[in-house]
Amino acid sequence: MKNNSFFYFLTLNLLKEKRRYAGIVIISSLLIFLLSSVLFISSSIKQTLNYTLKAQPDFIVQNIKGGKVAPINSNMVNKILNIYGVEKVTKRVYGRYFFDDKYSTLIVGVDFLDEQSNKNLETLINSTDLKQFLSKEQMIIGQGVKNYLKTHYYNLEYNFLTPDGQMKNIKIFKTLSSKSAIISNDETIMPLKSAQKVLGLKENKITDIALNVPNDSEWQTVKAKLQSLNFNIRVISKKDMQKAYESLFNYKGGLFLVLFLIVIATFSLLLYLRYTLAASLERKEIAILRAVGWSIKDVLKLKFLENIFLVIFAFILGSSLAYIFVFVLNAPLLKNIFLGGSNLTNFAKFTPVVDYGVLSTIFIIFTVAFLSSVLIPVWKIAVTEPKEAL
Amino acid sequence: MNELFLNNYVIVYLFSETVLFLMALYAFFKDIVILKYWDFESFSARQLKLEKQGYLLSTIATFIFALKFILLIYFVYMIDSLSIIIPGAMCGAGVISANSYGMPLLFIKLTTIFTFLLFLTLNNLDLKAKNYPLLKLKSWVLLAALLLIFLESFFDLSYLFNIDLSVPVSCCSALFGNLEGANPLPFGLNIKNLLILYYTLYIASVLAILLENRFLTAFTLILFAIISYYAVVYFFGTYIYQLPTHKCPFCMMQKEYYYVGYLVWGSLFIGLFFGLIWVIIGFLKYKNKTAKQIAIASISLFVVLCSSYVLFYYLKNGVFL
Amino acid sequence: MVIIENLNKFYEIDGQKQYILNGINLSVQKGECVILKGVSGSGKTTLLSIIAGLDKPSSGKVIIDGEAVSKLPDMHLSKFRAKKIGIVFQNFNLLEGVNLLDNTMVPLIADKIGLKEAKDKALNALKLANIEHKANKIPSELSGGEKQRGAIARALVANPNLILCDEPTANLDRENSLKFISALKKLHSMGKTLIIATHDPIFEELDFKHKVVEISQGKIGFAVDA
Repeated sequence: MKNNSFFYFLTLNLLKEKRRYAGIVIISSLLIFLLSSVLFISSSIKQTLNYTLKAQPDFIVQNIKGGKVAPINSNMVNKILNIYGVEKVTKRVYGRYFFDDKYSTLIVGVDFLDEQSNKNLETLINSTDLKQFLSKEQMIIGQGVKNYLKTHYYNLEYNFLTPDGQMKNIKIFKTLSSKSAIISNDETIMPLKSAQKVLGLKENKITDIALNVPNDSEWQTVKAKLQSLNFNIRVISKKDMQKAYESLFNYKGGLFLVLFLIVIATFSLLLYLRYTLAASLERKEIAILRAVGWSIKDVLKLKFLENIFLVIFAFILGSSLAYIFVFVLNAPLLKNIFLGGSNLTNFAKFTPVVDYGVLSTIFIIFTVAFLSSVLIPVWKIAVTEPKEAL
Repeated sequence: MNELFLNNYVIVYLFSETVLFLMALYAFFKDIVILKYWDFESFSARQLKLEKQGYLLSTIATFIFALKFILLIYFVYMIDSLSIIIPGAMCGAGVISANSYGMPLLFIKLTTIFTFLLFLTLNNLDLKAKNYPLLKLKSWVLLAALLLIFLESFFDLSYLFNIDLSVPVSCCSALFGNLEGANPLPFGLNIKNLLILYYTLYIASVLAILLENRFLTAFTLILFAIISYYAVVYFFGTYIYQLPTHKCPFCMMQKEYYYVGYLVWGSLFIGLFFGLIWVIIGFLKYKNKTAKQIAIASISLFVVLCSSYVLFYYLKNGVFL
Repeated sequence: MVIIENLNKFYEIDGQKQYILNGINLSVQKGECVILKGVSGSGKTTLLSIIAGLDKPSSGKVIIDGEAVSKLPDMHLSKFRAKKIGIVFQNFNLLEGVNLLDNTMVPLIADKIGLKEAKDKALNALKLANIEHKANKIPSELSGGEKQRGAIARALVANPNLILCDEPTANLDRENSLKFISALKKLHSMGKTLIIATHDPIFEELDFKHKVVEISQGKIGFAVDA
């Protein structure tokens, strides 16, 4: 490479024409930056969701009444335990509690003395001094909840207003660290009985039942058996949830991508016009090259390598800027489009993830658009008649 | 129309295929003009123009070839990633068999790439000579390649539009595992004979190339490719997955197996393609040492790669699967 | 060395053939110096560009070193031009913004030559043309005479046997024109075949053996040895 006179001349040419190419590189990098930022955000969120989903139970059993989810009888747990192959069947009580009409928290009731189907909860329980925690009515809260309560001068406890109009005082035991931030930041975890009271559930009623099935190949059978326990039961598997999330982000990313394609088409048209215009300026130079012995193939090679260099340069520049913007600066402005900025600031930081699928998507879309729009102008200039040098 | 068409990969894939389709259409008309009016002896302005347009066609062909190659890898990656949203699919195998257009599409893609490679080789030879001896032939080959692009576009759309997200597809264990007890191998082979055939054909192919016997090369290479397919799916694959029941040509392209599937299938097809190119240009009385070397190196890499999975498994565990 | 057989170049305008060159026959021996003389519009530049393979004839043949150049495909013609023909243009035709050394290298680059070797050869050619002290200057920093010598260096860099010059002194003052003529003499003594298209009377003062070919209205008027 170093002793290659062709590459030497290529770099010479690029440096000579840097002013002319600067505009193209700036616009190209900007486009790549925009697309990369959006796709980086969506793949980072997907990654975090997958991470959280992994810790979720394999199946959730709900009670459906009139097409809506209704509390389920806690004795259903015993029936499920009779099914062969299930594990960690857990009663779950949870629901949203609204502090005012804007801010809410996810109340999660946990039977701390039971086995847990959720791996995050398992870790949490293992790191908590249960004896102390269960000595009175206490709760563990997320960072976001803590921030909200603090601004309203509740530093040690909070008085929940239950649906039947009574006050329920619960002390704050500790604040959750915000590792998988999206789920746990607006969570409040408390013993099952307390949660039932806050959410207005009767003692034998729970929100739903979670369970695990360690053997993947038994999922289908277990699902069918669960379904047959009662006609008004709904069974949701982890894969269903993953699919739902996937589609949600598909829509957001896909919609943006379709809009972006229109921008790219406009860009291609501009590029085509720009190169056609530049061709008349470059004619003389190419004619000289041709006159002193360059073939059409040599000129094509020079011009294409020049453009491939521009594409790669703009790609690296644009995507690295996007990486910094999203993962270091935390994507100001853009993140609201994806997360929706309404709830308790339920979010800390994007987890850096380098997804080769996303990178190659950006690269392909841009290379195809760029090179196909300059292909014909570049050929036109390469076949300049050498006699024009005379 | 379904939510498949809002998947990033599908959008980008369709966009690229559309651009290439338009380019191919443009080249198609130019190619027909060349086939009709080419007259090298003439000094006319039209002939001069056609000579220049020959360069446009080879530029477009190079562009299409390079992108088709990248897009094939991208397509396989896309298929694999779609397995999350298509019910029942665990890897690309289920997705590609979601309807009857999938497998033919994959086959057309490979044929297209091969035809473009053939055109580019012929074009190179043609430009090296002083009187365009291969012009008619290469223009016909290009025409065939462009027609294959049109066919591929048709299959692209038919395939993607006919994936029904509400109907579960089969996963690879249902497709390749011999559930019914029937022998899935061709010619009634068993695994032992399959492996004997595999290694024999490999040695035969290399020898045929080295001895410059072109008929034999074509015959052994094609047979080797077919046998290799079965050998990888039903034998070598199980060592890649380290699971005797896991038989699938697609799963090995996933991250869990370090994307090794791309290298496995890539080396097989590159070897096959260059071998056949060498055979074809040999019949036209041209020699190409590079094609020969790439063919041998590539299928050797393929065989060594497959075999080493078995070898390392044996060295590590002291038994075969 | 150069044989031209029945060469025609015409354009068809409203079905009428407009001849620029009409039935040219000429042969130039190796080591000869030929002056193509004629007023502007006589067709001498067109003849020169057809010999160089920059332009195509309408009919007829140009054979250089046994190779019929007019019918060569572009790849071969370009390679032939790079290796066997050096051209000095009227307006020098150096690449703007590229220094003289790199300009001189340009014909070698298409030939896949190593960078170091190309630079060495370019420097030698610049020495031969007495301009190596300006190797790092770009064309806009050079005078007409200096550009001319740079152009000669570029024409010589691949060591071709045939050198073609198109109106080489048209943009030079008398002093520089005389310098150019002495450079020609040096090339002549090196055994290069020279074909020069010009209407400059200064070439009548040439003090070495040469042939004058008069071109008028696309035909060869007379040819004399001087």
